[in-house]
Amino acid sequence: MPPAIETVDLVKEYGDLRALQELSLTVEKGEFFGLLGPNGAGKTTFINTLVGLVRKTGGEARVFGHDVEGDYQQARDAIGVAPQEFNVDRFFPIREVLEHKAGYHGIPADEAAERADEVLKRVGIYDKRNERFDWLSGGMKRRLLLARALVTDPDLLILDEPTAGVDVQLRHDLWELVTELNEEGTTILLTTHYIEEAERLCDRVAIMNEGRKVTVATPDELKTRGTDTISVQLESTPAVAPDLKAYAHETSVSGDHLEVRVDDGGSIAPRLLNDLEAMGYEITDLEISRTSLEEIFVDLTRSEDRTVTRSSATADDGESDHDLEREQEGVA
Amino acid sequence: MFSVGFRALFRRELLRFIRRPKNTFMPPAITNVLYFAVFGVILGGRIDEPVAGIGYILFLIPGLIVLGTISNAFENASFSIFHGRWNEYIHETLTSPLSYAEMVVAYVGASAVRGLIVGAIIAVIGRLFVPISIEHGLFLVATMVVIAALFAGLGIIGGLIARDFDDLTVMNQFILRPLVFFGAVFYSLTMLDPIWQYVSLLNPMVYMVDSVRYGLLGYSDLLEVAPAAYAELAPYASLGVLTALTGVVIALDVYLFKIGYGLTD
Repeated sequence: MPPAIETVDLVKEYGDLRALQELSLTVEKGEFFGLLGPNGAGKTTFINTLVGLVRKTGGEARVFGHDVEGDYQQARDAIGVAPQEFNVDRFFPIREVLEHKAGYHGIPADEAAERADEVLKRVGIYDKRNERFDWLSGGMKRRLLLARALVTDPDLLILDEPTAGVDVQLRHDLWELVTELNEEGTTILLTTHYIEEAERLCDRVAIMNEGRKVTVATPDELKTRGTDTISVQLESTPAVAPDLKAYAHETSVSGDHLEVRVDDGGSIAPRLLNDLEAMGYEITDLEISRTSLEEIFVDLTRSEDRTVTRSSATADDGESDHDLEREQEGVA
Repeated sequence: MFSVGFRALFRRELLRFIRRPKNTFMPPAITNVLYFAVFGVILGGRIDEPVAGIGYILFLIPGLIVLGTISNAFENASFSIFHGRWNEYIHETLTSPLSYAEMVVAYVGASAVRGLIVGAIIAVIGRLFVPISIEHGLFLVATMVVIAALFAGLGIIGGLIARDFDDLTVMNQFILRPLVFFGAVFYSLTMLDPIWQYVSLLNPMVYMVDSVRYGLLGYSDLLEVAPAAYAELAPYASLGVLTALTGVVIALDVYLFKIGYGLTD
């Protein structure tokens, strides 16, 4: 069985700018996969390459074994995408928008109508079915994007920052729904800025930066890559930080606290206590704090080389409410 | 023959203009009532001598039908593509499993239908002013379908290359309309000096207007002014060339969709 997504050395260039740089990534069928990265990392460019809105410059990209350009019809038929942008047909009530989308995917009219009703109920906006997109609230618009992605019953559901700017209730509703879909067998590719979201939902995450894959791991594996901080309260404040270079990455004194950054706080702590006592310090309290996934993410994406300017194309990871600024022109 | 996906897109495109008659059918209807009233009745009534042996108001009808048909076919296709690009909802189509040829034929087909409906409306309005009898029905239908499809195909290109709504206006008002107005809509080529007759033959609209006039009234300027060797075949030669050109334009549309021109990054 081919993977849901497989890219090999995928490249996208905009002139001198490289939005995707030899990106090789595999998402297995049935997986809940997260794509993390700062704005301009290339996440949306990656997604748009899969669905045919961006033409790759080089490399290979396949969806369930179908080349996204050579076998584009089969590849696109397998994908449902809920983008960041509100790119919805404004001419028709939302129920008809969904019927049309289902129709484009070869679903006969009667069945398309049934599916449209079904997904509108599932995302909780069935009572708005006869409204046009522009009349929906921001949260309802997000729900509609999800409904549109689901109406074709895709094997691969791509969610590009689905919870950006939505309230807590809706965020939890969406989490519940996509978890349910994943349990039913749908492969899910999620891009998000919310680390908590990735940690809570994803089987694996890829961290991207400047069009490159930084790492791929489970959220738990990622967390083990971070350092811990052991904070020791001492009876008397040392004038200088003691020498603990044998196992400490960094040692600093803050008031009557000594802060020691180590790889594995739990196993290092007893040794640290012994060493400090041997040095004559009297210890009154000790606390170990683990590095959050968010801190690990920041560490991994903090590039030393900022010479690769973010392209305008990859800037599409940013806020994309520009369509709100666009005035509807008259009907020609 | 046509896939479910193609039919869904074609239907969507038809509904888009059918549900908005105030925006799509009323303007050409009103404009053409004015044309017939002012040029046909008020001014035409003062032209004592028939144009090419035909009453002036009757002579006008084929040209106005062509003008309305091609303008609307072009406008519909270019607007549909450009508005979809502008608001990005064309992504709904582009991310679907429709083939590029199906996408193009659906857009072109629906836009051609709008052009033909407008052409029919103009014919009906003309009939209110003067009796019409169709001389070569099959030829007329074939010509109308071909020119509607041709300009729908050109409208797709316009919609893909436009950068803003002003570009669409420029294409329609400053390119299409002048060509049609100098395409022997309001006058016969036989009324021109020989030099201007030959210059007019460089205008592709002349052949379209002439073919429709031949199909509707049985009269062709080209049979009068074209070189003798060509004259006998004139209306059919025009239809053949226009059909071939339509095929080329639609093939170009499909190619542009395939490479994602104006549609993808």
